[in-house]
Amino acid sequence: MLIICLVKGVPAKTTQVVTVSGVLRREEMELVLNPHDVKAIEAAYYVKKTVGGKIVAMTMGPEPKLVPIMTDLVEPREESKYVPRISFEGFDERIILSDRRMAGADTWATSYTLACGIKRYLQNHFEAVDRLKEVVEKASVDESLKLAEELYEQNYLPHHIYSKLPSVKNSVFSRYARGEVGKEEVLAELEKYRMRLSKFIILTGMKTSDGETGNVGPQTAEALSQMLGVTIPSIAFTRDFEISPELDHVIAERRIGSVIQRMRTVLPCLLTIDHHYEPRTPPATTQRKARAYSYPHRLDKPFVWNADYINADPSKLGLMGSPTIVGPGYEIGKPPTQKFVGETLVFKRDVEKLEWNGKTYGPFKKGDPVNNLPKELVDSLSAQKVVDVFTLEDLVEEVFGGVRVVARAV
Amino acid sequence: MSLEQYKDVWAYCALDNGRLTRPSLEIIAAARKVADKIEQRVGAVIIGHDLDNAVDEAIARGADVVYYADEPWLRSYQCLPYTRIVCEMVEKYKPYALLFVADELGRDLSPRVAYRLNTGLATDNINLAVEDYYFGPLNTTFKNVLAQIRPDFATRVAKIYTPRHRPQIASIRPGNFDPLPEDRSRTGEKIRLRPEPNPDDFLVQVLEEREVPKGPVELEEAKVVVSIGLGILKDGNGNPRNPREGYELAKKLVEVIKTHLGVKAELGATRALIHAELKELEGLITSERQVGQTGKTVSPDIYVALGISGSVQHRVGMIKSKKIVAVNTDPNAPIFEIAHYGVRGDLYQIVPRLIELIEGGYNG
Repeated sequence: MLIICLVKGVPAKTTQVVTVSGVLRREEMELVLNPHDVKAIEAAYYVKKTVGGKIVAMTMGPEPKLVPIMTDLVEPREESKYVPRISFEGFDERIILSDRRMAGADTWATSYTLACGIKRYLQNHFEAVDRLKEVVEKASVDESLKLAEELYEQNYLPHHIYSKLPSVKNSVFSRYARGEVGKEEVLAELEKYRMRLSKFIILTGMKTSDGETGNVGPQTAEALSQMLGVTIPSIAFTRDFEISPELDHVIAERRIGSVIQRMRTVLPCLLTIDHHYEPRTPPATTQRKARAYSYPHRLDKPFVWNADYINADPSKLGLMGSPTIVGPGYEIGKPPTQKFVGETLVFKRDVEKLEWNGKTYGPFKKGDPVNNLPKELVDSLSAQKVVDVFTLEDLVEEVFGGVRVVARAV
Repeated sequence: MSLEQYKDVWAYCALDNGRLTRPSLEIIAAARKVADKIEQRVGAVIIGHDLDNAVDEAIARGADVVYYADEPWLRSYQCLPYTRIVCEMVEKYKPYALLFVADELGRDLSPRVAYRLNTGLATDNINLAVEDYYFGPLNTTFKNVLAQIRPDFATRVAKIYTPRHRPQIASIRPGNFDPLPEDRSRTGEKIRLRPEPNPDDFLVQVLEEREVPKGPVELEEAKVVVSIGLGILKDGNGNPRNPREGYELAKKLVEVIKTHLGVKAELGATRALIHAELKELEGLITSERQVGQTGKTVSPDIYVALGISGSVQHRVGMIKSKKIVAVNTDPNAPIFEIAHYGVRGDLYQIVPRLIELIEGGYNG
């Protein structure tokens, strides 16, 4: 099974990533793995242990900043600046979608781009199987074996189709080589494998720590549905799920408002994984069986794909492909008056108009802070105890004294 | 089709046991605010089954038109059929804007709807406005565009625009608009759509739905919220304190406010404190008490921040409180920028005095 995990590099300052050595972040704009992706990765690993296949990480962004994250996602390391500890064996393959034209994308354009990348990834597999079918049909056993080996080495064929593992003696092509099965059976097996490939699963975190939208999961499912002409369901906030080893269905649970929904979905599907998720452990027999459906290699080097390779329409990419535009930001304002206990001078009682050096000030109400009054006047008022520092007693009286009659402002 | 032909501001209303949820009433109010500014109507969208009461409620709460689909097979919320029906409504009636609540349902439904309609989605807004927007790359000023105002990490609050596409879709965080008062004398148009089920609607089947027992924590309804942050780990001299003590103090303050002032009070906490997973606070402070961008948005009459530095993420969850009281040993803590009342001092000394003073009879 193709298990596609969408991950994102986010600015380190938006995360709580603390490494074992305590090194926090080298510089603010360094990218680290989105912390919400951890649950999606654990979910992906659970799926692989249950049904076999390979887990592939796909991400979009500037290649140089994503390579360190992707590197640390191959072999789980004890200590990494870019990736927190995740209990899994590492990704089998990693894909970086990187192109200047993709920069500045909102969630619509990001989802479009990711869907193009997934489509390309699927196509590569279908094309490999179709090539092999053609050769099996038209060419000799030896030529078929040669191509099968080549595709196996490129990680396109799982062990149950072709294998060099001593423990797997009865792969389809071993039996073909020994003459135990004929062309027709091999073609039927390859067709079954093709069907299996079409039942992929996409897993994402429930949101990212920088954008915090949670849009990209459902939107990628929608984008890919449109591209493939197949409706791919999306289930957000998945907190628990089980996949059937035969790939018939996924049973997922999620919370929507005040209800927990337990639902059954067909494959392919997309799940966004909630922070409540804890992976299940499939039975040992299931895990053993699953291994026959897994692939031989964990590829060291990530694939880097540009917009042309994934056949993306440039007008739908990046800033110009994004329906939304981020306008100017502004500060959240200060309240009009502020009082600090032990610091702010306030009137301790109501005061009618004050005459001072021919000028009138006021009136003032009890609790008003003393602002813009001549220093001598303030000194005089202080001497009379008309003004004094704001105390905790004043605070309690002002804040909690009238609590019952505080009307909610509309 | 030109952008000007898209008219009216719609609110997608969700149901809880046959009634509109409170956040749904809030977004009808938000839609009203925008619609009044551009002299258009408010539409409510409701999908489900047995909707007669909900349709009337939407009108009484400020909708001018209700677009609804009332079918037995739509009783449970499901992303695929609901997406299809909302999109069909939009394509037929062409609204200027479409609002969702930024809760689980809204976050599941609105992204797919926006993608399928080929338009933008601005999530998690705390306010809306209508403005003219100049878009440099096209050297064009777009008139009367929805400014979707949301918290942003880099710039604190950002405005998101969807100038070139319609409808402009936005999700609104609960707690930022007050529902309009119920007015049963209001009248409105009711437009019922009768969608036919489609095989793709059933790719996902709901096997079971069970109510989540209502938690004891009702932060959003409290008149007073007392929140604690990582500051409870140290006292004014910088000495470590058992966070359990700080928790107990804050809890006592909540209790005293409840009993002496007779108002609903609740204990809140920052994300940092909850995520620290301190063993002393195990089981006492759970995520349902979290105030902030990834937690709850509260707007109580009084918000007391104890040992909270006041990150932007926390502030967006409580900035609408009527009176903010902050206690912090760090004289420059950002929370003091927004506090109406500040106490630069040790909460371990201040809170016991607050408790004494409130018990002492300042009970209005």
